[in-house]
Amino acid sequence: MKNYIGLSALAGLLVMASGTASAFECKVKDATMAKPDGFPSRALTMIVPYGPAGGSGQVAAAMAEAVTGHTDVAINRDHKPGGSGTVGMTAYMAAPADGYNVLEHIDDASSAHALDSSRPNPAADLVPLVVSQVTFSQVYIRTNETRYTDWTSFVKWVKAQDGKATIANVSKEGSMERVTMKFITDATGMEIQQISFDKGAPRYGALLGGQVDALFEQPGDVRKFLDADNFKPILTIFNERPGVFADVPTHKEMGMDFEPLLRFRGFYVHKDAPADRVKWLQWAFQRGYCQDSYQAFNESKFMNVIDSYRDTAGAIDLINASVDQYREVYKSMGMDVK
Amino acid sequence: MWENFAAGSLALFSDPFTVAIFVFGVLGGMLFGAIPGVSMLTLAAILLPFTASLTPAQGVMLFAVIYCTGTYGGAITAILFNIPGAPENAPTAFDGYPMTRQGKSGKAVGAAVLCSAIGGVASALVMMAATEPLANWAIRNIGPPEIFALVFFGLAVASSVGGRSIWKGWMSVLLGLIIATIGQDPVGGINRYNFGFTDLAAGIAFVPAILGFFAVSEIFVQAEKKATGKFDAPKVGMSFPSFLEIWAHRIAVVRSILVGFFCGILPGIGATLAAFMGYGEAVRWSRDKEGFGKGKLEGVISSETANNAATGAAMIPLLALGLPGGALTAMMVAVFQMHDLEPGPLVFYNSPELIWIVFAAMFYANLSILFIGLVETKTILYLLKIPFQFLAPMILLLASIGSYIGRGLVLDVIVMFGAGIIGFLLRRSGYSIPGIVLGIILGKIGEQNFAQGMQMVHYDLGTYFSRPICLILIVAGALTLLAGIYKAVGSSRSTASQ
Repeated sequence: MKNYIGLSALAGLLVMASGTASAFECKVKDATMAKPDGFPSRALTMIVPYGPAGGSGQVAAAMAEAVTGHTDVAINRDHKPGGSGTVGMTAYMAAPADGYNVLEHIDDASSAHALDSSRPNPAADLVPLVVSQVTFSQVYIRTNETRYTDWTSFVKWVKAQDGKATIANVSKEGSMERVTMKFITDATGMEIQQISFDKGAPRYGALLGGQVDALFEQPGDVRKFLDADNFKPILTIFNERPGVFADVPTHKEMGMDFEPLLRFRGFYVHKDAPADRVKWLQWAFQRGYCQDSYQAFNESKFMNVIDSYRDTAGAIDLINASVDQYREVYKSMGMDVK
Repeated sequence: MWENFAAGSLALFSDPFTVAIFVFGVLGGMLFGAIPGVSMLTLAAILLPFTASLTPAQGVMLFAVIYCTGTYGGAITAILFNIPGAPENAPTAFDGYPMTRQGKSGKAVGAAVLCSAIGGVASALVMMAATEPLANWAIRNIGPPEIFALVFFGLAVASSVGGRSIWKGWMSVLLGLIIATIGQDPVGGINRYNFGFTDLAAGIAFVPAILGFFAVSEIFVQAEKKATGKFDAPKVGMSFPSFLEIWAHRIAVVRSILVGFFCGILPGIGATLAAFMGYGEAVRWSRDKEGFGKGKLEGVISSETANNAATGAAMIPLLALGLPGGALTAMMVAVFQMHDLEPGPLVFYNSPELIWIVFAAMFYANLSILFIGLVETKTILYLLKIPFQFLAPMILLLASIGSYIGRGLVLDVIVMFGAGIIGFLLRRSGYSIPGIVLGIILGKIGEQNFAQGMQMVHYDLGTYFSRPICLILIVAGALTLLAGIYKAVGSSRSTASQ
């Protein structure tokens, strides 16, 4: 197969896909930190570029609760959905860089910058406070499916459909889902129609009801369907088998030689915010990750299956590696990379 | 079923704290639904963190009750001030506000109260009887092509409402459809008509558009009348609809229950489509189609019955499959998750007591609409006695806050005033404001499902017709359009010959 990964990206990706999680140990030892010149003296504002009910809205709520719980600093969440996260990002970049405004964002910010370098670079124009969720994708089928039961039989069946087979995902131009599906289809030689659903409910309903043949998703988002035995994963797109999915083959085991793109959600502050305030925010959010309430939240979302934590340096590595990889893929796909 | 319902009722009313939460939800939903600028979603977002300290049954029940009464609450402002509390109340304003202008506000509000209760109770009963089989039927038989066909059918039926001629009605809908295309396309994520403005990439939000086209344009219209000495203050009509008046519309009520329920059961669709489809079907089957949009009681009845019928139905995919039908039901998922629960088939086996408390609470919440609604209506109607010069700035202020609060974007306030000015000018020319709003709301739903449907049928439009439900709806919609054209052409010829 064509390998889209450049050498520069590979080095970063080794850092990025850093294996399955071990027992949780808080990396931030200091339980308290003095407030620099009394900062913050009022509530923080967290801009969330997505709605309150989705994955970003939920992680923002969980982190805000955790940070408030251990610092007593209130956090007001300001949801600005739309434009695949660009509306919220633009609003954030226009907000005062005084440390009182923080941003929640996902890997879409990295892919948007990779496609158009005039868009903010989360690793340079922002300071990552913490990346608190890192997860991988899987391909799911209905548990009671009889036409195919595993990845091998699925690929065989899809090829026999002559392009008529379907998979539900969020296949917007340049998205992680579309790029990964291109890796998969190129590697297997199968042709499959991607159906783009931007909301989870219709996407999952489409698989449950047999409107589509498979689903591309992250395990935390479909946990209830896995627990209810409605869906089953047939392919894990990660370099090794996570413990809870030990019986599901990885894409590499199935002969697909590409580095997995990961979904990650984190919290940021503007690079021009005062350094002492940034330092306090880094402590507050990285320590927030350690709080029981946040750990319980991550566990409920399968976000403890692989190492979900990146401090500022780790997050910058993750973002830079992702940007490099997206950029190379976009070029190879003939997209207009600016 | 009845044994479970009795057990749920007992659990609901045997604990004073649970009763207090129920009452809070009923009143809070009505209040936040009725105040322009905030909505039941605002209340739900505020309450979400506090549900962690409630039992799972109390938390989910609270949200379910808010959903029922909040859906009704927006009808009051839609009827009295032309300010729909939420998109699902927009069709209520089509005829409700003209009724207010005609001094029939009591009849309109009374009908909204009664029909919201009827629709909600009927929906709750069906929900209790058949949640699992209905949810499974819906997801197996209704996909994006069918939803697109449903929207096409709805547009074809209701597009003539409110315009001075059928052509102007259709032009209004087309304008709404064009506005709906602003922003990223729903499938590929490609920006359209945003002219480099990032905020426009998110598209035109429903609430500012509705507030602008309805509330702001109406203020401009009344202000012009005031300035030219033609202002006629709305009369406070205290007479409620009689039993016979409601009985005369019994078929419309039953039809709206069926339509509302059907739309509500579809994941991701919910009450908004239900209200528009309920209204559209009322127009379709009426002998007095031209009367709609000008103050017809049946318009209020159909819209309010349908949107409340969708509330119980929207709980079906949520509880049976874990698929929320709209924003509030999506927040309910978060309530479940805060208690380490997931909505879906396992809830019926693991937490049946929770399910039946929620079912019972929704049933009683809808009944509460009837009693509390009728009591409060007498008071609310006196708001119409506030002089225009005081009322208009209040409405503009609340509408501005309501537009801004959703996404915190100044753009939305600009959109609201822009829509108000455009609406004012178009109304003078006989174009249809309901038609534009219909186009915006159904356009977004329709385009998304059309694009997804085309992907599913591999861009072969003919394959749409191989799906029976799709075929029936598209053919019915096309015939409706053709009949409208035939009628309009005939009318033009007879006018020309005179």
